[in-house]
Amino acid sequence: MKRVTAPMQQVQPMNVREAESQEAESKPRLAPVAPQARPPAEPGPIAVRKRRSRPALAGYRQLAERIFLPIMVVGLFLLVWEVLVKHFQVPLSLLPPPSYIYTRLTEVWPVLLDQAVPTTLETIASFVAASILGIVLATLLTYSRLLNSAFYPIIVFFQLIPKIALAPLFVVWVGIGAQSRIEFATFMAFFPIVVSTMTGLRATPTDMLRLCKGLTANSWQVFTLVRLPYAVPHIFSGMKIAVTLAMIGVIVAEFISAPKGLGYLIVFASSQADTALILAAILLLCMIGLTLYGVVVLLERLVTRRYG
Amino acid sequence: MSKHLDVWKVSKIYETPSGPVEAVSEASFSIREGEFVSILGPSGCGKSTLMMMMAGLEDVSEGVIIERDKEVTGPRPDVGLIFQEATLLPWVSVIDNVLFPVRILKRPRRDYEARAHELLEMVGLKDFHQHRPAQLSGGMRQRVAICRALILDPPLLMMDEPFSALDAITRDEMNVALLDIWQRHPKTGVLITHSIREAVLLSDRVLVMTRRPSTVVCDISIPFERPRDPRIVESAEFNRLCNQLRGYIESGYAADQNNRYRSAAAAVATTE
Ligand SMILES: Nc1ncnc2c1ncn2[C@@H]1O[C@H](COP(=O)(O)OP(=O)(O)O)[C@@H](O)[C@H]1O
Ligand SMILES: [Mg+2]
Repeated sequence: MKRVTAPMQQVQPMNVREAESQEAESKPRLAPVAPQARPPAEPGPIAVRKRRSRPALAGYRQLAERIFLPIMVVGLFLLVWEVLVKHFQVPLSLLPPPSYIYTRLTEVWPVLLDQAVPTTLETIASFVAASILGIVLATLLTYSRLLNSAFYPIIVFFQLIPKIALAPLFVVWVGIGAQSRIEFATFMAFFPIVVSTMTGLRATPTDMLRLCKGLTANSWQVFTLVRLPYAVPHIFSGMKIAVTLAMIGVIVAEFISAPKGLGYLIVFASSQADTALILAAILLLCMIGLTLYGVVVLLERLVTRRYG
Repeated sequence: MSKHLDVWKVSKIYETPSGPVEAVSEASFSIREGEFVSILGPSGCGKSTLMMMMAGLEDVSEGVIIERDKEVTGPRPDVGLIFQEATLLPWVSVIDNVLFPVRILKRPRRDYEARAHELLEMVGLKDFHQHRPAQLSGGMRQRVAICRALILDPPLLMMDEPFSALDAITRDEMNVALLDIWQRHPKTGVLITHSIREAVLLSDRVLVMTRRPSTVVCDISIPFERPRDPRIVESAEFNRLCNQLRGYIESGYAADQNNRYRSAAAAVATTE
């Protein structure tokens, strides 16, 4: 996004949050100092000033560049894929052409959708659980020095290791039910939320905290009115990573143990050498993943409109 | 006039991983009711620490601070605080930011709304009460912070380099604005600043702090009567006072330098 920085703002050191929100203004309108000498109210607040729009043609060209170009590249890629696969007569089980994947997709669409239900629901459940757990744990670790010293290194440790390797252990310990998959996916997803929420809860400017202390605000007030809202952008950046990780967690768990789900379908299809079905399932997974991500982004928009 | 604040032999030692740091060392002065006092000094000399102790935000390590016959032991909402950055809540409108102290103290909002609007009008932000801070310039945001500090009508206002983040022109305007505010709402004021001219224009007294030892080394009365006309800055007397203060500050620096040479020499002597 393009930001316009007013010449005046450049003089003062600003925190990032403020810097982000400088766009609205270019010339600081300074009200005269002595109230009695104030001229009649100036029209219109500076905030409503619009950025001058580009000539229409350039706008279209930019739109074309940003949307049609990628689409054309993908289209070209599919075309080359189709042509090459057909030309070299690659076996369907190795690499089916896009047209065949499409046919297969329409054939098995109801089955795919049916299998997608548990995968999606488990992903959502894990993501929600990870968000709640992550925010609560981050809050505890931020407020308690002792808990922080005790657990933060462990969290960093788990953040760094390949957690996927632990998936079979969840089967051993929790079983092969939906609960096991949700727990594993929650475990996968919650570290980035903890870490980013902790960063966010520390993002409140010190002077703001001093002001609160000076007003004898209690910790609950400081948390709900100041620190948590300041953390919102950070929390969402953690959540955007988490939603992807939750889906990975569910699919991996389904690979290992599941009677149903798209992960299960992929494993099943590969045992049948039905490569087109695998690719169709992956396509659907991509769509679900993008939708869930989109929902989080939408939620972020809504919340930052309130707390941005 | 009676004393509002009495600072007596106050020291502050911060315990840091690399050893104790003495931020303020035996500072003593007092501030009368309704007096406006500026504290001048180089950065890092302990001005903010001193203010924080007066506001009850930091404990004193040694000495005592008395406010109106009671020892200062902690923060109290009847001290208005203004910092270098406006520190407004970015997601809250200007009027809600001004009313933030009311919200924290759980007082009825409608008792203060009229006053909030009056204050905003006084600083020339009447039409901006529904704006978000991001839609305002730095100077306007600092005006909002001033309104917020005044909303509870505190008898004491403390400002830590409130205009340092502003450009020179805005800063001059803010100085005049503050002079005007003081005419309308007389109260005790403590202003920490780097600017000698700002200190002389606004204050009844100027204290100068030095580094090493971080303490108040001189105390100068500014004789201009109130209400003050901002044009006093053009007078010879104003410039004389500024030069005098500059002299004190430079001699403070010189003492600092001497100390440094002396301790360096001592260090050399002990290693030999
Ligand atoms: N919370 C703190 N912990 C440790 N040292 C501090 C702390 N706050 C300030 N200091 C140190 O105390 C000295 C005075 O700081 P400060 O009061 O901010 O000075 P000033 O406001 O005059 O620039 C500095 O050397 C600073 O590094
Ligand atoms: Mg300071």
